[in-house]
Amino acid sequence: MEKSIQTKNITVKVFRFNGDTDVLPYYKEYKLEVSQEDVVLDVLNRIKWEHSGSLSYRRSCRHGICGSCAVKVNNKGVLACKERVFDLIDLFGDELVIDPLNKQRVIKDLVIDKKDFWDKYDAVQPYLVADVEEEPEKENLVTPDEVEKIADADYCIQCGACYYSCPVIEVNPEFIGPAAFAKAYRFTSDNRDDAKIERLETVSQMGSGVWDCVKCFECAQVCPKDVNPIDKITRLHQQTFQEGVAESNVATRHAVGFKHSIEQHGFLDEGGLVFYSEGPLGMVQHIPEAVNMFKNGKIPMPWNLPKSKNLEEIKKIVKISSTAKF
Amino acid sequence: MVKEPILISATAHYSMGGIPTNIRGQVRKNRDELVEGFYAAGECACVSVHGANRLGANSVLEALFFGRHVGKEMVKDIDNLDFGEVSEADAYNMVQEINYILRNNGIESVSKIRDELQESMTENAGVFRTEETLKKQLEILDSLRKRFKHIRIEDKSRLFNTELQEAIELGHMLDYAKFIVEGALFRKESRGSHYREDYPKRDDENFLKHTLAYMDKDGNISIETMDVTLGKFEVKERVY
Repeated sequence: MEKSIQTKNITVKVFRFNGDTDVLPYYKEYKLEVSQEDVVLDVLNRIKWEHSGSLSYRRSCRHGICGSCAVKVNNKGVLACKERVFDLIDLFGDELVIDPLNKQRVIKDLVIDKKDFWDKYDAVQPYLVADVEEEPEKENLVTPDEVEKIADADYCIQCGACYYSCPVIEVNPEFIGPAAFAKAYRFTSDNRDDAKIERLETVSQMGSGVWDCVKCFECAQVCPKDVNPIDKITRLHQQTFQEGVAESNVATRHAVGFKHSIEQHGFLDEGGLVFYSEGPLGMVQHIPEAVNMFKNGKIPMPWNLPKSKNLEEIKKIVKISSTAKF
Repeated sequence: MVKEPILISATAHYSMGGIPTNIRGQVRKNRDELVEGFYAAGECACVSVHGANRLGANSVLEALFFGRHVGKEMVKDIDNLDFGEVSEADAYNMVQEINYILRNNGIESVSKIRDELQESMTENAGVFRTEETLKKQLEILDSLRKRFKHIRIEDKSRLFNTELQEAIELGHMLDYAKFIVEGALFRKESRGSHYREDYPKRDDENFLKHTLAYMDKDGNISIETMDVTLGKFEVKERVY
């Protein structure tokens, strides 16, 4: 069956602010007819070219490879040249609000100052550190299995959609953030790289590092290139243990505590986990929660902890697979 | 199977030709002279390694190889180069181009002129062209160039002004389009990606040569030719 091109009428509200002339930002409303072919960038271009030439936004390649045009539509981080308007209408209806990735960092309209993003990106040394001969006589061989480890971490286009959607960044300006973690992983998993340990030390610091990720999965959700940063963060957790970089602190002990619990019982012992990661004082602090959980049947008393039937086998598996040193 | 229409359009993927250079990346002033201290590499440059058509994936040669090679050549030259003489008037040319666009209070829109330029160039000076379509395009270009003098932009600020940037780019595209059309008119033969429906055969006797085109202050183009250095491959008809 042949179909014709469908169109819909929408209202677009665009965040406007020119630091040279405006005291406060405001929203400007535009009414447009959009087709099933249109992506968000087409909407921005049409507003700029047909309604208001001063509308400012970054754009360049128009096919999802330069990472310039990320914005938020109804608070969802999107790459403007990739996100179809019809899909957004399905999600949000026929009124779309287009905002910059971060309103506090606006230079003009949808253009933001990404300095914080780039500073953190630089902090993980986002390049291959290796003694490469300037004029090598043969290739540096990398096997397909080794390439497989880098996985999709190499597809990042630095658009910043994940970084400016990350709830940890909002409350913790020190946090390195999902994009730079994915980039760090791209090199810590590259067998040609010589700065693996240095990078793992950078990303495992308390406060700024991978342990402060709250695992909300927003970065995986918004990424227009399916880099899946949270998956890379988890792999970095593992690498810090594998490479002996992980130091004993509340975050790493929380991770290792799971292992101990499984090793001892085959089940999760939440009381034991708290004790292992936070110590006796932490245990005391959590007593009110523990009481509540017990009342609601969420945790058993220590003497009633169930044991897994195949505990001996579980212990063997834990022993051969664990890389934790504490 | 559901059949749905999709929108398609021609796009400028690569520019064959460009700033003429020798193999060291030094820019040619004309057939015989170079411009001292001026180098070009990458897609803006034309070292003439591709012949009349750049085959798929071969722009890597310019993007990767010549970037590095020309950089090294520049390092070799730099100790023997002095700063050229620059006057305030030279700098003022650029300032004037920007100020003209910022202050001009005309009635024409940059995006409309650009749309018309894109559509007419595709129509009249695309892969298939004839003397008739090219002459028609020259008239269109002259009219678009006149209209460009009467543009007005909304954004007068000096902060991240992408409207100003688009206007400057359009001015340069209008110049560049004229080079393409005049070059195509001059070449009364078909070669590589240039196909003249009124001259479908390759004519080595008259056109086995480079085109060097110059624009004067009034936008008129004059054309010179330069001999082609043939390498180990002989020029052959494209049969695929």
